[in-house]
Amino acid sequence: MIITALIIAISVITLFAVLGLVLVYMERKVAAFMQIRLGPMRVGPWGIAQTLADTVKLISKEDIIPNGADKFLFNLAPLMVTVIATLALAPLPFSDKWIIWDSNVGVFYVAAISSLTVISILTGGWASNNKYSLIGAMRSGAQIVSYELSVGLSLVAMVLLSGSLSFSDIVMTQQDAWWIFKGHLPAWIAFMVFIIASTAELNRNPFDLPEAESELTAGFHTEYSGMKFALFMLSEYINMFIVSAVAATLFLGGWMPLHFGQDNFFNHIMDYIPPLVWFAGKVFFIIFLIMWFRWTFPRLRIDQLLTLEWKYLLPISLINVLAAAWITVTGWHF
Amino acid sequence: MSYIENILSTSVSLLKGMKMTGYYFSHPKEIYTRQYPENRKTLKLPERFRAELTMPHDEFNRHRCSGCTACEIACPNGTIKVLTYMETTPDNKKKKRLDTFIYRLSMCTFCNLCVDSCPSDAIKFNQHFEHSVTERKQLTKVLNRQGSTVTDELK
Amino acid sequence: MKAILFYIFSVLILACGIFTVTSRKIYRAAIFLLLTVVSVAALYFLMEYTFLGVVQLVIYAGGIVVLILFAVLLTHDSGSLLPPLGVKRTVATFALTGTGLTVFLYTILGRKVEPGSGEFNEPSVKMIGGQLLDLYNFGFVLPFEAISILLLAAMVGCIVLAMKFSKTMN
Repeated sequence: MIITALIIAISVITLFAVLGLVLVYMERKVAAFMQIRLGPMRVGPWGIAQTLADTVKLISKEDIIPNGADKFLFNLAPLMVTVIATLALAPLPFSDKWIIWDSNVGVFYVAAISSLTVISILTGGWASNNKYSLIGAMRSGAQIVSYELSVGLSLVAMVLLSGSLSFSDIVMTQQDAWWIFKGHLPAWIAFMVFIIASTAELNRNPFDLPEAESELTAGFHTEYSGMKFALFMLSEYINMFIVSAVAATLFLGGWMPLHFGQDNFFNHIMDYIPPLVWFAGKVFFIIFLIMWFRWTFPRLRIDQLLTLEWKYLLPISLINVLAAAWITVTGWHF
Repeated sequence: MSYIENILSTSVSLLKGMKMTGYYFSHPKEIYTRQYPENRKTLKLPERFRAELTMPHDEFNRHRCSGCTACEIACPNGTIKVLTYMETTPDNKKKKRLDTFIYRLSMCTFCNLCVDSCPSDAIKFNQHFEHSVTERKQLTKVLNRQGSTVTDELK
Repeated sequence: MKAILFYIFSVLILACGIFTVTSRKIYRAAIFLLLTVVSVAALYFLMEYTFLGVVQLVIYAGGIVVLILFAVLLTHDSGSLLPPLGVKRTVATFALTGTGLTVFLYTILGRKVEPGSGEFNEPSVKMIGGQLLDLYNFGFVLPFEAISILLLAAMVGCIVLAMKFSKTMN
């Protein structure tokens, strides 16, 4: 049991490091290509080792704790945000055999854990003893707390359709087709709402008011430097991965290959691609989608942000839950 | 009704934006970045790019500067200093001649006002932009060459 | 293994609980409260009652502690030390908690606790949902509806509080 735990710990840490490196590099390249630039090109061929060099720089940087900061909480916040990101990784099925903890309330668990991220952001912002950090933390708190509702409701719609809270069960219900294909309108709306609201929960553009470089000088992590800043960055990208993995599992079938109907020739061809590749492909597709948003749309104003949530996303997803329940009861999905 | 219209028109305009960035993402030919030190040989600069003030000399080591100091007056931040001396011409007239044309690259904003103000087209900007030197005083340059004279038509 | 984890989490609960009440910085107290709540959830997970553990996380950690933190952030002097307790208050606190602890220990120690069979089948979410909306079989439909009316009233109250009435409306 201890050995299993050790193996899991080591692989999760490795996953964190690799994901951090890959996602930051990907983000910079995607951003560059969308802005007709080349992006990092100097370190290694096509700048592949750029994030590695950045990591070395971050590690060797001086760790500054501002005067008047609450030292204990200032150090606790980046730790907390990383731990929370790690915890949320547990019930995600990476393939048919790779799942850390096959919980029967997986979806609920991920929603619960991701609602804790806001605490570490609030703590980091408050402990920095800096007005920009505090404003950023408050904005982030208000934003995450409101958009959590839409995320939760779109999850509820999918849970209604698939009839289970466990990720592996939800994947198994998509054996004949993914929910995005067989869920009709409720699934599409839930997918859209989930992507929009979870982009907001990740504090990414166009919802990056908490970090707003131009007005708040990076918001809650203004005062962080070196490795603590790196932890905030890392967990931001890990959270993006988790959100994409949840979306991929609920709507796009997780590790389930592209199937239509039962047991036909097409399905057997698709089965030759290993599940892990399917999962990674779907996750990176959604990550790319979120990055696409970031490098296309301008930042929302605070009133637009709240209007979008309370006047559009929330009513729509409430009605959507009703529609999903109706479809489930009448059995209209395939 | 306007509620749904609002949602639809918003989605359409957002999709338009995503189409634009998606087009750029999928068409790497559009990339405008130039990898400077590697492409030094094939580098093409825009015509109007200005890098450094020069004073062209012809094959007999003659420039076209009459020493009128119009450029020095026109320069907004004192980049140019024109030192002159008086010369007596054969027909016993006194005439101003250029002694040293000092150009401080470190203070230049490349605004082109000096070139515009010059009545005899004695100075112009070239496109050699690699200015880096190890000492600041190397950025103070004398533009007229050693032993150069003014062209005959301006005598 | 389980026993070790149990003791670790128990110590965490107790220590963080004590820090919560003794810390003189209000924000730190809130964070220690969070750690206490999360440790309790960890105990539920250890007992393999995951649903209750997740509910604990959602309601206490994600809901109540966040609310407390917001309230703390909105207060004016959230960074300064709270004044130390006077002698009277200390004595009163100790007396009250002591009484509570005595009653609690008396009840617990007075009863004979039989060790369980070690098997525990977690009720599925479907069962919990069914029981919540069951009219018969000791279902909880009446409290469920009562609570939903209460929540509806609270929501309407919030909207009324936040609404701006124009002067012509009265």
